[in-house]
Parts: sequence; C-alpha cells; structure tokens
Amino acid sequence: MSKPQAASMYESAQKIYPREIDGRFEKLSKLATITLLGLFYGVAWLQWNGRQAFLFDLPERKFYLLGMTLWPQDFPYLALLLIIAALTLFFFTALAGRLWCGFACPQTVWTEIFIWIEQLTEGTRSQRMKLDKAPWSFNKLRRKFSKQFLWITFSMWTGFTFVGYFTPIRELGMDIVALNVGGWTLFWGLFYGFATYGNAGYMREQVCKYMCPYARFQSAMFDKDTLIISYDRGRGEPRGGRKRSVDHKAEGLGDCIDCTMCVQVCPTGIDIRDGLQYECIACAACIDACDSVMDRMNYPRGLVRYTTEHAMQNKETHVIRPRMLVYATLLMILIGGLITSMAMRTPIILDVIRDRNALYRELPRDIVENSYTIKLINQRNEERRFRLAVTGVDGIRLDGVDDILVVEGGGVMNLPLRVRAPRNTARGVSRIDFTATALDGVPESVVEDSRFIGPAQ
Amino acid sequence: MISEEYRGAQQWSRNKQAVFTVVWISFLCAAVGTMIFFAMFDPVDLTQVFDEDLAVGRDAGYAAGFFFFWFLTLCCAGLTAFLVRTAPKRDVQHRKADE
Repeated sequence: MSKPQAASMYESAQKIYPREIDGRFEKLSKLATITLLGLFYGVAWLQWNGRQAFLFDLPERKFYLLGMTLWPQDFPYLALLLIIAALTLFFFTALAGRLWCGFACPQTVWTEIFIWIEQLTEGTRSQRMKLDKAPWSFNKLRRKFSKQFLWITFSMWTGFTFVGYFTPIRELGMDIVALNVGGWTLFWGLFYGFATYGNAGYMREQVCKYMCPYARFQSAMFDKDTLIISYDRGRGEPRGGRKRSVDHKAEGLGDCIDCTMCVQVCPTGIDIRDGLQYECIACAACIDACDSVMDRMNYPRGLVRYTTEHAMQNKETHVIRPRMLVYATLLMILIGGLITSMAMRTPIILDVIRDRNALYRELPRDIVENSYTIKLINQRNEERRFRLAVTGVDGIRLDGVDDILVVEGGGVMNLPLRVRAPRNTARGVSRIDFTATALDGVPESVVEDSRFIGPAQ
Repeated sequence: MISEEYRGAQQWSRNKQAVFTVVWISFLCAAVGTMIFFAMFDPVDLTQVFDEDLAVGRDAGYAAGFFFFWFLTLCCAGLTAFLVRTAPKRDVQHRKADE
C-alpha cells in the first residue's frame, strides 16, 4: 500500500511562474483579452441621446440600455437574461469545452493583463524567479515598485470603471478630479479595485482550482464529443529525451521528448499528459508550447491538441447530438420568449392599492363608496396623457379624478381616488378592473384588478 | 524535475481553500440575494417603514442590505465548512483498526 500523501496537502502555497509562450492560441487569447477589456473600459463612456448608453442607475432605480429604460418592475427580464446567459454557457461548454474559462472569463482576462504587466516590469519567467530569490537591491526595488504601481493604478481604474456602470461615469470622473466623491461610491470603487488586484495579481488560477463552482460541475456537461485539450498518448509514448538526429522510432520512442514545456507553461501547473483534469482551464498554452517543440524537432504538430474523446479513440465525432439539441431548443424558446415579451411590453405600469382603513362607506341615495390609491408610472421618456376607467360592476364610476391624467416622462403619479357604485349591484365582494389608456402615441392600455366591497345585504 | 517542482508546490492548504471558498461563494450568494431583494423593495421606502428619522440615502441602504446578506451567507457557509473540516475522521480510524 502506498504511503498516505496527506502531508503535502498542508504545504504552503508557492508562487507559480507561468512561462511565456507564443503561438496561435496565445494570439487568440490576446485578441480576446484586448476585445473584452476594451469593451469593459470603453462601453462605460458611450453616450446615447445625451445619456450614458449603458447605465444601471442604482441611485435612481432605473436601468438605461441604449434607448430603453428598465424599471425595478422589469426585473423578470433581467432574471430571464441571466438564465439565458447560463444556458449559453452550458451550450458552448458541451460543444467546445471550457472556451469560457480559457478565453472569456474575467478571472482569466484580468490575470492575463496582470501577468503582462509583471513581464513588462520583472522580465521573463527565469528572470522573475531569479529576482525573487535575489537579496533586496535598488534594481529589485525599482522593478517591484513599478510592478505594484502599474498593478494598483490599473486596479483603481478598473474599480472606477465598474462603479461608472452604476453612477454616471462622466460626472463621477469630474467628482474624482475635484476630490468630491460620495462615500459609498468611493468604497465600492476601492472594493472592486482591491478585488481585481488580489484576484488577478495574486490568486490567479487558484480561483479556478479552488473557488469556482463552474469548474467543478462543468464535467457534467462534457461527453465524448466535447472539444477538449488532450495529449495523444498513442503517438507520444513511450516518452523520453533524444537527440534531434536520432531516429526515435527505431529506438522505440514515441514523439514526446519529455521536455516538460507543456507543464511549464500551464497556469494551473498540471501535466496535460496525465489526461483530462478538472484544473485544466483550456487556455491552450500547452498546445502552443508543444507545437513549437514539434516544429523544432521536425515532427508533425498536434501531439497536444484540441480534439474529442471519440476522435482520440478513432471514432466519429458528432456535433449534433441529443444534448446539444436540448440546450439549443431551450435557448431558442427562452430567447424567443424574451424578445417577444420585450417587444410586447407596454411602458405603463398601473398599481392599485385598496384603502384598508374602511371596508366601505355608505352615501345618500343608496350609493356605496370604496377608496383606493392608484400608482401610475409612465416608463417612456416623454410626457404622456392617460384616461383612467373602472369596470366590473353595473353603474360603477370613478370620483375625484380628472378626465385626463398627465404623467411626465419617467414619472410616477400617486393618486388617491374614490369609486362609487349603486348599492343594489355591489353587494358583497366584487372584482373590478382599473384601466389606464394612453391617449397619445401608440394606443395602449394596462389593466389592473382590485376588489370592491359593498354591504352583504 | 521541473514538473514535480511545479505541481504539489502550488496547492493551497485545506484551511486556505476553505476560507477563500467560503468568502467567495457567500459573496456571490449575497450579491444575488441583494439583487432580488432590492428589485422588489426600495431602501428609501424601507427606512420609512422602520424609522422615519433614519433618513439614509439609497446607496447606504443598498450597502447595508448587501452586508446584511453577506453576513448571513458567511455564517452559513463558514459554519458548514467548519463542521465539515473538523468532523471526526471515523473512516480513517476504522481503516487503522482493520489493518
């Protein structure tokens, strides 16, 4: 029986020094990083009709998305959008493995930038390892200081941009220049900045290994037709060092020269040759590394490559399979539902609250009266006129309401009103409907139901 | 060999894993809770329900709500992790006894 390895579990974490690598996938990853970060830092500054194009205005409780204004009442859209995002992730995971992890996850993207800054200030992998072992000197201090300076500046800029999606970023910029930032705004900016600094500067892929739930359960979406990064064991083994001039096949060696480059470049520090492991974030750095070695050895590329388990077993790979169809169908239904409901959304909200202080009031001439408070919200950005009506009981009518209600753009009208009905038609509890009809623009109306209470007899 | 130096060396201790996982997952859950809660309730309305004099702004209300949720989720995740981490290892003792 092998000795338990528990002791190594308690070893303190050491720094990982991922080796820099150049290649096809590295270029792709750089492109993804620049695009995604460009979007994050750039989109906050876009304007639309004199207003920030994408602004989740929490202080105002309104979300502006291009020309559209969403209210807290529209929360179901946001929930639906999040579900669609999750399903899309599942779809692409089943199709192409951890594309998200390797190229699009904020954790990966920001880590990429922070490693780039590290290389800029402290040099290559071996230079960094040497620098860390070296005693403190002016050179070391200078390099460490510039790294920290760039890291912290970049983190603060990130925090500022993040907050800029929740409070108008242009005014926020002015406030910062004038040193007049609100307490909580400052707090969240620093909070997000610090999280970026810690996550991308220090924790890096440990986040993927230990803290990411998706990394643990993504295997549930995998099957034998999912695109994974794999080492071609049949071609590579038996591995071993050799001279370039040697005919390795005659020596009984496989194509793997055991240079460990694939291990050195791995940001999570695994050996891809051991098979698919959950630590693998599919960044494809090992493919680039191995390809460059294969080129040098004049062996064909692809000893480590994107492939599927079926392809590895020389079987056919199926892109279209029940799992993909289920995910795709669900996605279509949800996206269709979202688009339809957003297209059919009436930008009017009507809320009716029945006054609970009195059941009803009896007026002369056999009239019964109930009191309500109406909340009429105009979600459009321009002023609108409405007509309010009530139905459901014979002879029911509103009292104390203007014929035409004018609500300003984005405004809320709170209106206490009375509803009257003849005593003989309104016995007991009746369901009534309030209808608000817009009188200008597109003819649209909303209906909200309530109860009208009259005497039992 | 480089590969050995690389692997094993970068493992977080079990306690460190537990602490960071608890903080991160509870943060995520608190964020979701805050989002849903404040989509339905306006902090300004809430402060009026509790205390008219407690005139805090929306941003302070959001922050208070978020930290309240985070405190709850931290307690829940932290206690769970603590109990799992410190549970008596009966299996190990059984195995030892069997040997």
